Amino acid sequence: MNSGAGTYFDGVTSARRDVVVELTTGGLQVSDRDGHLWAQWPYEEIEGLTAPDNMLRLGRRGSATLERLEIRDPAFAAEIDARSAHVDRTGALQRSQRMRVIGWSIGATASLLLVAWFGVPAIATRLTPLLPVTFESVLGDAVNAQVRGMLDIRKAGAAFDCGIAAAEIPGRIALDKLVRRLEAVAALPLHLRTNVVRRSEANALALPGGQVYVFQGLIAKADNADEVAGVIAHEIGHVAHRDGTKAVLEGGGLSFLFGMLLGDFVGGGAVVLAAKTVLQSTYTREAESAADAYGTELMNKAGGDARALASMLEKTGGATEPGMKILMDHPDTKARVVAINKSAAAVSPSPFLEAGEWAALKKICAGS
Amino acid sequence: MLFVTLGIYRFWLVTDVRRFLWSNTEIAGETLEYTGTALELLLGFLVAISLLIPVYGGIFLAALDLGILGKLSGIIAFAALGLLGQYAIYRARRYRLTRTIYRGLRFHQQGSAWGYAFRAMLWWVITALTFGLAYPFQVASLERYKMRNTFYGDLGGSFEGSGFALLLRGIPMWFLVFAPLVFAVRGFVAVDWKALVDALAQGGDDVMSRIEGGNPGLGAAIVFAMLMAGASVTLAALLYPAFQAVMLRWWSSGLRFGDVEVRSSLHMRHVYAAYARFVGYAILFSIVMGFVGAFLFGVVGVAANLGKVDSAGEIAATLALLVGYVVTALGFSTIYRATVLLSLWQLGMESLQLSGLAALEKVKARGRPASPLGEGLADALNVGSY
Repeated sequence: MNSGAGTYFDGVTSARRDVVVELTTGGLQVSDRDGHLWAQWPYEEIEGLTAPDNMLRLGRRGSATLERLEIRDPAFAAEIDARSAHVDRTGALQRSQRMRVIGWSIGATASLLLVAWFGVPAIATRLTPLLPVTFESVLGDAVNAQVRGMLDIRKAGAAFDCGIAAAEIPGRIALDKLVRRLEAVAALPLHLRTNVVRRSEANALALPGGQVYVFQGLIAKADNADEVAGVIAHEIGHVAHRDGTKAVLEGGGLSFLFGMLLGDFVGGGAVVLAAKTVLQSTYTREAESAADAYGTELMNKAGGDARALASMLEKTGGATEPGMKILMDHPDTKARVVAINKSAAAVSPSPFLEAGEWAALKKICAGS
Repeated sequence: MLFVTLGIYRFWLVTDVRRFLWSNTEIAGETLEYTGTALELLLGFLVAISLLIPVYGGIFLAALDLGILGKLSGIIAFAALGLLGQYAIYRARRYRLTRTIYRGLRFHQQGSAWGYAFRAMLWWVITALTFGLAYPFQVASLERYKMRNTFYGDLGGSFEGSGFALLLRGIPMWFLVFAPLVFAVRGFVAVDWKALVDALAQGGDDVMSRIEGGNPGLGAAIVFAMLMAGASVTLAALLYPAFQAVMLRWWSSGLRFGDVEVRSSLHMRHVYAAYARFVGYAILFSIVMGFVGAFLFGVVGVAANLGKVDSAGEIAATLALLVGYVVTALGFSTIYRATVLLSLWQLGMESLQLSGLAALEKVKARGRPASPLGEGLADALNVGSY
């Protein structure tokens, strides 16, 4: 079969032309019934284009116009396909290209995950010490405003911070004495600000820039001043390691990596969030262990009882925490307690506060 | 596939979908052809990302500022990204049009993308201030701008849909959705919030009784307001297919290319049928996923009872959870595409009657292919379509 019917568009006007297509040795010839020759395409310049299933649509490679030839007879289409290298009617060429794309995509994904798992924490760890303390203070102030807004959910009543009312001043003085002893040993590059706030949970947290919040619930649960000091020493560890700044950098890096590069085609937002949570909780687990070690060391140096941190942990965290370890911010409490007790100094410690001062600290949130 | 390659494959998927839709769309006996490639989209996306990095960086720094800039940073970011999104929508439309070939000639789009973006932002503000009543006029005005800058070869397009006509068709729906909402807001305002907060702040075991004592009928007021808000949301969901049908029919009937006029006879019941199919398949899929999930949960439970769950087991469980989520999301997305999106395209096209087709016979080629940057921006900002 050396000739067949087709439809030709010259790419200059929209006119539709019913044409006869002839297959010659070097290429195909397109002419209408009056014998007017419309196009002569060499076989190596013909390319197949997207079209409905029942049609072969051809164009000319490198042509300045969009001239098109459409063949609807399947047998004749197969003849043209057999002669032209760039006509891919069965889609075999496209399939092999597609497999290459998939291969490369999987490679790119693996590289992305490796960067997220190793690269982002490594960059954050190396970048954090290079950031000036002034930047950390600015960052800390911004974070502080946010965190206070999130933590302070009371509608009315006494101030969010304890140790302001007259009845609370002795407690504040006791807290300052305790913190001064730790801070003198720690030698931090920035000034520590420690506040007890009205929150019922037994918890404490450190922000970038040296702000430490101890919750009222923790003071209530502590049996002696060294337990409070142990927790504050642990938080000073976070400040010294600049974990808050590191977390901000890591969070930003991961958001960028996953959120921007992946786009949101199937509501992948939730996947991104899950991935970030898993990754970030592994970062913080390492940070917690490091802060434990730092806190223990600090308590040893300050001549306090480092085991108090362990006993406080046991009280707040319970002996073992069931559930998903991978999603937990803090490593297994039992393991932490063992690690702390192992490195606690054996010398007889001197208590942080006298009995009277401890009683005052206990009442730091009394004046409401 | 999409998840394994973390979405990089989406450029190929989008291109495949468009090729399929375009080449199965027949106008006056000839089909459309989509000549865009996935590689173009990928490049456009990468360029868009590199342009967006400084913007995101600036927003991040502004958020750190403690002064007035920091307080306003959220609003500024919202406005800047909104403007960029509209800009991207216009540029993306230009890309798609110049990759659309019909009878050997391409479509193209002129006009300024920034001009469109500012217009669109202004209209969104007006629409928000009028609780959506200005929306028909917004769509009409923006569509006029788009269509008078749209060309098939040298044949200029225009849009003749009137915002007022759309308003008349849409206003019953607007009332149905907003009336319960007004009642809900009135119900909430009527609540004595101060007394409620005081009662809560005092704490103790008898909060509820104290609330009741201080505010007789408070519980009823809250329940009423919640019911009304629920009614509004339910009505909005139920009316959405009707809204889409009205919009699609109004929009296609307003399209003009020279003397070519379009009329649409889209039936609302067909759109509802498409959504009903979606809901049916979605329920079926949910049941299957529910069974699979229950089975896996049982296996994990048994293993946990035997005390054989270690770290590796936990990681495996987390991974299984993630995979389950992805399969579910992909499943629903595929069902939605196959039922609603495809049906709407098909219904929209099949219901068209074109007149004045003689004008299509003597069109001359004009226009050049446009860059895919707009598509990339739209993708990065999540304002893309099809």
